[in-house]
Amino acid sequence: MGRTLPTITQQISDTEAALARFRRTLRKSDQYILDGMFAAARRHTAAISHTDALLPFEAALLAILLEQAREIATLRQQVEQLNCGTGYRLVD
Amino acid sequence: MEQATGWLIDLYPDENGLVLWLLCDDGRRLPARMSFPVTFHAAGDFDQLRQAWRFLQEKGLLLARATRCDLFSGEREVLSATLSSPGALPGLFASLSRQFPGLDYYDADVPLPLRFAARTGVGLLSRCRADLAGNRISRIEALDTPWEVEPQPIPLRILELGPDVNPVLRPPARLRIRYGRVDYSLGLEPLRALEVALGALLRQFDPDLILSEYGDTWLFPKLKEWGLGLNPNRDPDREVLTRRADSYFAYGQVVYRGAQTHLYGRWHIDRRNAMLYGEYGLEGVLEQARVTGLGVQEMARKSPGAGITAMQMLTALRTGVLVPVVKQQAESEKTLAGLIAADKGGMIYQPLIGVHKDVAQIDFTSMYPSIMVNFNISPETTGKAGLPDGLVPQTLRPLLGKRLALKKILGELHPRDCRVKALKGRAAALKWLLVVCFGYLGYKNARFGKIESHEAVTSLSRELLLQAKEAAEELGFVVLHMYVDCLFVQQPGYRQAADFNPLLSAIAGKTGIHIALDGVYRWVVFLPSRRDARIPVPNRYFGVFQDGEIKYRGIEARRHDTPVWVVQTQLAVLEYLAQAATLEQAQAYLPKAGGIVEQAKRNLKAGRVPVEDLLVTQRLSREVAGYKSPSPAARAAKQLQEAGKTVAPGQTMRFIYTRGVPGVWAYGCGALDLRVVDAGMYIKLLDRAVQTVLEPFTPTATSAVCGTHAPLLFTGAARQAANTICKS
Repeated sequence: MGRTLPTITQQISDTEAALARFRRTLRKSDQYILDGMFAAARRHTAAISHTDALLPFEAALLAILLEQAREIATLRQQVEQLNCGTGYRLVD
Repeated sequence: MEQATGWLIDLYPDENGLVLWLLCDDGRRLPARMSFPVTFHAAGDFDQLRQAWRFLQEKGLLLARATRCDLFSGEREVLSATLSSPGALPGLFASLSRQFPGLDYYDADVPLPLRFAARTGVGLLSRCRADLAGNRISRIEALDTPWEVEPQPIPLRILELGPDVNPVLRPPARLRIRYGRVDYSLGLEPLRALEVALGALLRQFDPDLILSEYGDTWLFPKLKEWGLGLNPNRDPDREVLTRRADSYFAYGQVVYRGAQTHLYGRWHIDRRNAMLYGEYGLEGVLEQARVTGLGVQEMARKSPGAGITAMQMLTALRTGVLVPVVKQQAESEKTLAGLIAADKGGMIYQPLIGVHKDVAQIDFTSMYPSIMVNFNISPETTGKAGLPDGLVPQTLRPLLGKRLALKKILGELHPRDCRVKALKGRAAALKWLLVVCFGYLGYKNARFGKIESHEAVTSLSRELLLQAKEAAEELGFVVLHMYVDCLFVQQPGYRQAADFNPLLSAIAGKTGIHIALDGVYRWVVFLPSRRDARIPVPNRYFGVFQDGEIKYRGIEARRHDTPVWVVQTQLAVLEYLAQAATLEQAQAYLPKAGGIVEQAKRNLKAGRVPVEDLLVTQRLSREVAGYKSPSPAARAAKQLQEAGKTVAPGQTMRFIYTRGVPGVWAYGCGALDLRVVDAGMYIKLLDRAVQTVLEPFTPTATSAVCGTHAPLLFTGAARQAANTICKS
């Protein structure tokens, strides 16, 4: 109410809508991944909004990368745990 | 010269001044008169002002040139016009402003009780002492202020009355009346007998307040329609004041306000037509009437926004600031970058989806009003340093102080103390005023609003919330969620209220705003979006505090359109889960929770659920004819219209889902054949509601949130595990 500009949530939805034909052309399994990328961006709407960027989708892409990095760190930790005692170790 | 001491309960204009009603300490209800000239001002183009001067001179007003203070533009030359009869001002001003629309007008539409309070210090519901010569008041003084935390209660005589049945459903046959502990029942036929009996009861009890059910929308209009000679006013020379029903657009929806009946010398409140009466009751209405100065009948039917505007007008009148009739301030020019930086609301995080245990919720106390007061946010002070308190902080400071004082008293009382209900009602009434005061800073029609001051408040709130987050993280807490003025934090081993005291102190020290622990949840569930389970939703959660109290937001039980049967079953399941002492034990409660749901379905199929519990309530957003594909509410409205009833946009429609066409049965539209109730539809609604509360506890979901499940791309598991990594 009373806002002049669209919110970040609206802007992400608008971008998603603009890419609808791109998404449609993807395989279903890839569509799921793409949806996950937008879900990742939506987890950081507060941070994206706080950048005051003219093009907030740049910050949204950063949020997607952040989620990927987080997941890599998680998987790395789990692999380390699985390899514990085997002598194998992931290279940084 | 006689002196009278008591409460001022009513005030309205007559031909020569004011009529005041005093509820005296000796029990008298005393009408008195007082001369009360009123002044308004006009400013603008000199030629037009000169013509306006002549116009007013012909009407016999006392005119003068003066310099007065406009909040936004500073000192201004104005034409001041004073008339001795305040009741004549609305008509006079209407013709003046029609004739000279280009002038700026001030103080022309200020409610009379506010003018009186500003000049004498005596507001409606104030205790006061009056010097009387005959029935004329020569002097009046206040004996208290609206800011007394525990004011002396007014010994009101309250008469309750209402029909024996909801008039929407069928024509009532009797009028039920209660005075004290005595009940009366009057037949509506014959009308002459009703007139005599009701008149006798009003004379016998002489109530100060008629507290009715459907008084605005049925009883008083009917009394008029029936042509009864009964005058329900205390002032016998007056007729009741009737205001027509209307529909208007506010807060993103169409709102319907029923017709109103106001009385003179006593009050009338229709519980069914009173704004937020269910939220804070009569005590809350009296509290709002007292602090806003608007009076009980007005405040019961007006929004809190009207109350805040009244309070700002009062501050302006007292401090010599002009009250503009229309807002004159537009948004200041900004660059695009400036607009992007400023045009934002409060900080809303996306929570970590799933079930979390031992979580504390901490809230900033009245955050936005505190910011306005502490940082001197007011239209005329925003962006300027070193100024004294602006109009808005001056208005809010005592209001905020009173609410905090009431909350402090409430915190010290036992929950079963007999004072708790009234105090809660009063605190809630003040809370509503404080809630809307922020919105009114940015409201396009608010007389003392300016969007930049609105934006300054949200900007500061975001900064303060980030400072709170940083303070929590410095102390080792994981911030699960943040929502405008509250945080959900968690740290292994922290589960008692005292464990969070250092955090509260750290945040209060850092931000300068008081913050309090709302409670510690045994467990709390942040729900995902229905569209994609990987997307969190900010305000959709439920949880159980350590004392077993349930808190839920955004789920079906909070929605106004959910049938009572669905609400009750969803809450029964939640309450059952709340019996588990820990999150781990809650798993064992799942099978029996399913049993509660099955029993509810059996009750529905066997016709053991009352029809009222299946009613769906939805608002009609436009005229019935305006729907291209009618919603269930529109179909219900159409049925009512066909049955000869009036419906208007903004009205709430109550209906039952039925099988076949038109798929609904409008409440109040004849008798319902129970066999046509669409049980399948209700079971679908229930399953959806139960799924909301049970699904997070299913093994897959639980293991995912506990971080032990193999991560899918972007699942809660990954986030949770990553949090663990960050902490280690």
